[in-house]
Order: sequence, then C-alpha cells, then structure tokens
Amino acid sequence: MNPAATARRLKSPGEIRKYSTIYHDRLRSARGTRAVLSGLENLVLTGSPYPSGRNIANDEVIVLKDNFLTTDLPTTCASHILEGFRGSATSMVGRLLQDAGIHIVAKTNMDEFGMGSYSTNSARGPVKHGFDSLEQSVGGSSGGSALVVAGGLARFAIGSDTGGSVRLPAAYTGILGFKPSYGRISRNGLIPYANSLDTVGIMSTSVKDAISIYRILNKYDPADPTSLDLNSRARISHAGLSRSRVPDHEASNQVGVRVIGLRDKKESARLSLEAGMRWKAYGRQYLTKRSWRIGVPDEYNIQEMHPWIRIAWLKTLSVLQDMGNDIVHISLPTTQSALSAYYVLAPAEASSNLAKYDGVRYGIPRDAELADNHEGVLYAHHRGQHFGDEVKRRILLGTFSLSAGAMDNYFIQAQKVRRLVQQDFNNVFTVPHPLLEASTGNPEGVDFIVVPTAPTLPPLLSELKRQSPLDSYINDIFTVPASLAGLPAISVPVVADDDLPPTSDKNIGMQIIGQFGEDMPLLNFARDTVEAIDPPRPRETDSRIWTARRF
Amino acid sequence: MLRRWYCHRFVSTARLYTSSLCAQRKCFSTSTHCRFHATAVDEAEVAPLRKQLKDAARASRHQQVSDTNGKDQLRRERLKDWELTVGIEIHAQLNTSSKLFSRASADWTDVPNAALWPFDMAVPGSQPLFQPPVLIPALRAAIALDCDIRPRSKFDRKHYFYHDQPAGYQITQYYEPFAVNGRVTLTQQDGLAPEEGTLHIGIKQVQLEQDTARTQQHDEETSLIDFNRSGHALVEIISLPQLHSPQAAAAYVRKVQSILYAVDAATTGMELGGLRADVNVSVRRFDGATGNHSYSGVTGLGQRTEIKNLSSFKSVEDAVCAERDRQIDILEAGGKIEGETRGWSLSNPGATRRLRGKEGEVDYRYMPDPDILPLHIDNDLVAHFRSTLPPVPDQLLDMLRLSYGLTADDAGALLNLDNGTRLLYYQDVVSRLTPSSNNNKTAFGVHVGNWILHELGALLTTTETEWHPDLIHAQQMSDLISLQLKGQLTGPSAKKLLRILFAGEKEPVSVIAERENLLFQSMNDQEYVELANRVIQDHPKEVEIVQKNSKQAQGKLKFLLGQMMRHGDRNRMEAQRAEKTLRSILMP
Repeated sequence: MNPAATARRLKSPGEIRKYSTIYHDRLRSARGTRAVLSGLENLVLTGSPYPSGRNIANDEVIVLKDNFLTTDLPTTCASHILEGFRGSATSMVGRLLQDAGIHIVAKTNMDEFGMGSYSTNSARGPVKHGFDSLEQSVGGSSGGSALVVAGGLARFAIGSDTGGSVRLPAAYTGILGFKPSYGRISRNGLIPYANSLDTVGIMSTSVKDAISIYRILNKYDPADPTSLDLNSRARISHAGLSRSRVPDHEASNQVGVRVIGLRDKKESARLSLEAGMRWKAYGRQYLTKRSWRIGVPDEYNIQEMHPWIRIAWLKTLSVLQDMGNDIVHISLPTTQSALSAYYVLAPAEASSNLAKYDGVRYGIPRDAELADNHEGVLYAHHRGQHFGDEVKRRILLGTFSLSAGAMDNYFIQAQKVRRLVQQDFNNVFTVPHPLLEASTGNPEGVDFIVVPTAPTLPPLLSELKRQSPLDSYINDIFTVPASLAGLPAISVPVVADDDLPPTSDKNIGMQIIGQFGEDMPLLNFARDTVEAIDPPRPRETDSRIWTARRF
Repeated sequence: MLRRWYCHRFVSTARLYTSSLCAQRKCFSTSTHCRFHATAVDEAEVAPLRKQLKDAARASRHQQVSDTNGKDQLRRERLKDWELTVGIEIHAQLNTSSKLFSRASADWTDVPNAALWPFDMAVPGSQPLFQPPVLIPALRAAIALDCDIRPRSKFDRKHYFYHDQPAGYQITQYYEPFAVNGRVTLTQQDGLAPEEGTLHIGIKQVQLEQDTARTQQHDEETSLIDFNRSGHALVEIISLPQLHSPQAAAAYVRKVQSILYAVDAATTGMELGGLRADVNVSVRRFDGATGNHSYSGVTGLGQRTEIKNLSSFKSVEDAVCAERDRQIDILEAGGKIEGETRGWSLSNPGATRRLRGKEGEVDYRYMPDPDILPLHIDNDLVAHFRSTLPPVPDQLLDMLRLSYGLTADDAGALLNLDNGTRLLYYQDVVSRLTPSSNNNKTAFGVHVGNWILHELGALLTTTETEWHPDLIHAQQMSDLISLQLKGQLTGPSAKKLLRILFAGEKEPVSVIAERENLLFQSMNDQEYVELANRVIQDHPKEVEIVQKNSKQAQGKLKFLLGQMMRHGDRNRMEAQRAEKTLRSILMP
C-alpha cells in the first residue's frame, strides 16, 4: 500500500483529539479500562474483574503479556496447549507491581510462546490495529502489550524480550520499549522461551514512565537463579563509576560526582558501597552536564534498510550531535553472524523448555483416542495437534541443532559466536563489562550505541502472509545482538519527516544500546534524547486506531 | 491444588509397575515404541518383591544344580580364552532433606503428590533452585570414593519423553561433573574370588542428578503418577571398565553401597529401590587381535552392550554372566555384537533380552541448563568433609578386628550383613555392655559377635526370617549376654532364652528368665558330693582305673564327669565344680 495514500485517508487532527478525549474519560478508572479492553478480542486474551467499592481514581493500571503467570487470570502464552492454565502463584513481576499499587487489568495477545516478530502466530488470531484500513503489523512478539499502550488503554505494559520482542513492537506502534540488562528483573513466573536470552521488558509512552516501572521491578529475586544478586549489582555500580577514568574533553564541565584514580582496590571497594547512594546524583548531573560518545556501527547500515529509516537514523544522530555529543564510527564485526547464532540458540533452548507440554499435568488435556497408541509415540499427537506451526518449526530446529550429529556444528558454534558478539560490544564500550574479569573498557570507546530498531517500516499483514519464515527472522537483525550480549536497549519513537502527519505505517524506532548494567544511564540518556527529538505524541496519534470500535 | 493424583491414559494395555520394578523406566522416548506387555495383571505380578527375589533365587539354584558338570565344565574351559570387561553406572538416592532443585521435602510419604513444589512438576514459569545442603551427602560420597572434587561444575539437561519425567528432560552433570578420578578397592573380603587378588576399580566421575517420578498402573488404560520422588537428588557413579568377572561386578556394587551407607550419603539401598545399576558388558579374546572400541579412555575393548536398571546385587552378577555367555556364543559362531541396550529380569535370570538397538537409541541432546549457575565448591568445604568423614568399610573392618577383637571373617560378615544395620546393632549391644569408663571393647566384642552373628544368625536362617534390629531389642540382647557372662545363665539356658526373645517376648530378660526358671541356681557342695558318690557307685570299673592313675585315667575321669552331668540338673550344674568334686573324692 502506498504510504502517502494511507496518510490521506487518515482523519484530521481534530478528530483524533476528540476520540482521544472520549478515551481519557473512560480510562480514568480501571473499570473503564477493563470495559474497553474486553471489547478487543484479539488484543487482550483475558481481563480481570476489578474490586468494587475501591477508590480507583488514582490507581494505575497495567497489562501483562500472556506469558507472565497470574493466579486470577489464565496464562496461555497464546497457545492452545496451555488453554485454561492458571499459575499457582503470580509472577514476581506481577507481585512487585501489585505491591506498588498498580492494578493488572489484562493479559495481552502475543506470538505463541514469544516466537514471532509480528504477533501473528497466536492461537487466538493475530493482533491487529483496531482501525480497519490500517493493516500494518504491530510487531511482535509483545504486540498486544504494545498496542494497549499505543492506544492509550493503559499507561504501561509489560512484555518480554528474547530477541527484540519488546523493542520491535514498540518501534512499530510508536511507543517506548525498554529491555533491561539480563538478570535485572526477575523472570520468576515468566514462562520461558529461551532462558538465557529472556528479559522482562517495559513499554510506555514516556521514558519517565518506563523509569518508574523499572524502579519498581529492578530487584534481586532469590527465587530466580539468574537474577543479578546484590554482589553483582554492587560491581555494576562500581563499573559505572569507573567511567570518570576516561579522558574526556568535556571533563571540566562535569560538576557531578567525579572520581579520579579508581585503581586503588580498597578505595574502589569503599566507593562501590557508596555507589548506591551516589547513583541518582551521578546519573542526573552527568546527563545534563557531560557529553556522550555515541557509537554508530558500520555493520548496521545495511542495503536492505528502508530509506525512511536511514533518514530517521541520520536525523537522530544530527540531533544528538547538536546536543553536544560526539558521533563515533565503530565496528561490530559479528553483527551478521549474530542473527544466525540467535536462531540456533533460541530454538535450541525453546525445544528443551517446551518439552514439558505433554498434556499430562496442565493445559489442554490429552485426547484419549490419540494418546500413546501402540504404534509407539507418547506425546507427538498431542503436541502436533496443539502447538502452532511456528512453534513446531522452532522446536524441530532446536531439536536438530542439539542432536548428537549436529551439536558441534550448530549449538557449539552459535555459543562461540555469542561470545564474539559480547566481545564486540566490550571492545567498543568505555565502561568495562562489570561481571567479566577480563573486560577493561575501551578508553577511546563509546557510551552508547544508536541504531535503528528494525530495518523496515511496519509491514502490512497481507505482505507478511507472502513472507517465508526466514524473511521474518531477518527483521530481528538489529535487536538480536543486544539480546545475545544481555545488554540494556531501548527503542524510542522517531519520525522520518516532520511535515507528514505521523501515522502508524511510518512508525520508526531508534534503538539505544548501553553496556551491561548501565540501565539507568541508558534510560536517562533516552529521556534527554526523546526530549531533544520531540517525538510525536503517541497517545493522540494512535488513539485513532480505535475509532472503528465506535466506543 | 497439587495434592492429587495425576492420571493419563494409555490406549494399549500397560504393564504393572510394582514399586521396584520400574525397570524400563528410562527406556522409552518418542522415538521408541512403548512396548508394554499386554498381559492382564495376574497374581504373580502383584506378589511382593521379596518373594519374587526368593523364588528367582531358588529357580537359579535349581538351574545351576541341573546343568553343573558337563555344561559348566565346558563354559569354564571356554572362559579361559575370553576376557570379560564390565563398567558400571550406579544411581544412588542421596540422604537429603530436600530435593535437588526445590525446597520440597525428600522424606518418604505415602500421600501421593504431597511433597511438591511447582518445579518438581515442571509447572511453566517455575525455576530450579539449587539446594546447597544436598552437597553434604554428595561430597561425602565423592570423598569416600576417593574422588577429586572439582571447584567448578555445571548442570546439563538430558532430554527424553516419558511420563515420569515432567520437564521432558532430566537435569544432570554430563559435561562437567562435580567429582572425578575416584577409586574403590575390592578384596576377597568383598566377595572376590581368591585368584583375583585385590582390585582397584577406577571411578570416572560422580555426578549430581534428578530422580524421576513414580508410575503405577491403575487399570488397563490408566497409569497413576506420583511426583513425590520427582526431583530427588541422586548421584550417578560411573566406573571405568575395569571389572573382569561377574563376581567382581557384584562385589563392586555391594562395596559402593556399603561405602555410601558408611558415610551416611545414602540410606536406602538396592532392596528399597534407592540404588540402581546399569552395566556395560563387552568381551574380547585374550590371544586374538584387540578390539577397536574404547570406553572412558580404556582402549582395545570389544563392542559393548548396556543392561539397564538392575536392582539387586544378585541381578548384577547374573545379568553380567548371562550377557557374557551370550556375547561369547555369538562371537564363537562368527557373529558380531550389536551396540544395544538390553534388559534383564528376575523371571529369566539366565538371559538378557534386547530392548533397543543403536538405531532406536535415544539422542539425549545434552544441553547446558541455562537457568542453573555453575556450582562452585570451596576447597575449605571439601577439606572439612574430608576431615569429618565417618569411617569407610575398610576402616571399619580394621576397627572391628583391632578394637573389638573380631576375626576378619566375623568382621566382614558384620559389615556386609543387612546394609550395616547388623553392625549398628552389634555396636549398640557392645556399648550397652561396656561400662562407659571402659574403652576396651574386646572384653565383650567377641562374645557379642558370637551371639549376634552365629546364634541369632542360625535362628534367622532356620526360621527364614529377615533381619530387623527390632526383632530383639538391643537392651534385651545385652542383658542376655550379661547374665550369661555373669554365670547366671548356662549356655543351653541362654540359647533357650534367645529363642523366647526371638519369638517376640518383650518383657525384661530377667523377668523371663525367672518365669521360665532358666536362671542358674548353683547346686550346693552337698548335692555335688551326693551326685558324685552315686556315679562312683554305679561305675566301679572306671573308678578303679582312675584311682590307679593309669594311662586311661584322664579319659575315664571325663566319662564319670559326663555321667554326673547327665544325671544332675543341667541348669544348675557347672562342669568345673562337678569335676572338682569328683577329683576331691577319687584323688584326694
């Protein structure tokens, strides 16, 4: 479809605002939100009853992707095989949010078990914009969560990001999608796709909101063996402080906490204790006062990139330069191999994780006629019947790459590539990797890397039907490296052309990647960047997508 | 919500699992067929395991007797040409309070699916949580097996589909186990044939892993699964292929179990299903070209087969024997051994049967578990366990010989009987007899050993009773021995009293002795003299010989003494006093 034609068919700004007002009235209360949500069958899988008689005026509401366990709402990962499944305990993320007074109102649609980039691989049908003429993909796999935020139905949403599942839908729906460092937020109660890559992601319309949710969730959880423990968190704080060792032409402008000569071990130990206290001041003052070195990797400037995206990238970089930052050419040579490594590792872990779905203990019960027939197989019929095609494809991929004959050529090689991807990043970042003894940081390196979130604009759902699975895998090429390295990354909405009205077929996400553990500096930098770029207001822009629903 | 039985259905009929007959548990996967026996459940199959074991033992005895000589002779001749090589994997349940990766209790309970955390049932979203206390028995086991403890080890997933494996994979330590390079020493005492001398069997590695759930047949179409056992901590002990006889194989398993018991690493043995063994068997000609297979770094071996899930020492020996003979038969007929997995059952101890060949082999697709951090074991911790390790059997043997004064045979018997419970009982009785001020246990050691091993042992054998420490309370036993040693019970009375206690009498020993009139009340001098005179009167010839003090005097004196003992009340007589009286009359 011609984007210009789409733009012409859009309603006038006045109309948009009108609908958005209606929304705002309804969305004042959580009950109202639920009422709205319950009308959107493909977006939201289940909604929650809201306790009556409660003062809800000030309550915040949030939606969870359907792979987070909740006790009052079913958790199905948008799969037939888990139909009707309820967790025996709410996920740690859910509990932390509830403890903070935030009400979980719904579970959102997704790609089955997180496997997909367009939220089309769902047992409950694909996630679509409400507006009939908008057939653009919302991205995936956390598409439902993204659309809820983009449509203004909730201020925040929780998704999960394995290889870009929060960042890509954020980019395609024009909102913020933040994937923290691996291990920052507890995965306990998150049904895994690929454990070593899965992270809990936050979606919102403003960085400030993302920060406030991140603060609630950024906690050590002893119940998650991969959660960063207090010791690791102290090391991270310390590594961040070491940034001031870096020779910096703007050093004289730094009025914040400035620590020189951190080489002395005792001194650094003392400082790492204080780091927690200093962190806030450190983050803020540095951000306003110092300039950053922004890395632009050559390898991301691929031929297949949509011209508008290249334009938006250049515009973003020029804005950043205007802010006083240095733009630095860097090289991340393993970028191309990263995607292949990801599509070996993630399916391998998935094939293992999904082996538990046999219909014996939970989920949809086994069909007695098909179970265990004499011809020999135990669960194949059940799994074949109830897993979606993409899930089956990835299970087969993973089963193959772990098999005795293929292990060395695929799984082991992919692990090596993963290590190289991590090294790539460690070679270009100023701050050393806090958890790797060997990592020293590159004094000539960069603080953040800025690249597009995806090489393409949101594709039409009709186009996707013609795509091969491989085509859709390629769209993850810019998000996967940060996932393999466990780095924090955020997708922020940008525009290619200020003159055109912002429309959802031209949503572009710009991705900022930071060193491991540098989540707060990254978020602060993202906030400043967003302010400087002055992005479209997603709530007003995208609320038109609900007009077809005639609320 | 977890406290219920989870059922699933088979369309085909399925075999009954008695608690310990889960022999084929690990043998199925999606790629292999579920070949359940389509037999109806009959009486025999429900019979208790113990009875089955006995029947099987009897059957094999008969078989042995029937084909002795001719056939056996041939077989022995033939074995001279062939070298048997066996490597064994032992799975042992660790003595822990929690499971390996969840805080659920590992205590036995008869309420199905009561001891569960979500992870034990592979509930989506649940994560493994390594339980450090599990390391205590694991480290004790590895140290007692003389292993090197690795400072860093990791956990892997071993994939296969089966009802008793809720996650679809077992968490084990395939690539980097926590202990390697161990050693077990076997001697004649452990059941080796004398010509085998002393053997040192290398342990390749010891790894931590999860146990599976328990499956039970409910009706023809339904199996019940109890997940209480799911996730229990096991150690898998993998030996090098260094065993060369069926006896040595059985001795090795027995020895490992006794070591695990001795250091409290395990409390349930083979009889209770807490210990299972898989054996790898290969043969090669002594004189011929060496084989071209190598296992665990041992090269030049023949093609091996694996026999899975053996659950008694006898079955290890019988299965190895049967498999060795099968392989030699094939090779001598010019055939070739297939690398395959075979099964063995009590009902047919003379043969192994094919379960699946190489093409049907499960590809376990080992993958490092991405949720579980590497396990770091500090050297200090290892040193601590090394210094506080309870004695292993060889040390116990020395202790029994030196401190308790037992013979090597008796000491060995005590160690090997009844999983060490007899030894504990023995020590209990000795300590009850020995005043706390006295450290010298030799005073009672031999005596107690005699009663517990031989007197009590004979009773157990004649009545076909299983040993249990509660059969005769240790206090009763020590009272009995004490009375006898004090001279208040004669030997025969003591034995009679033992039989009464054995029958289940729970009253104090002194009360029983009194009631049964067993207590020794010595005859007075007067009575002895009267008795002696009566005997002298009855046997003048012998008296004459004694008084002449001829060569036969000593013999005749004994004869007269025997007469005295025969005519007197044995319960009240002491031979020494009778002899003294006799001598004082005849030879003043």
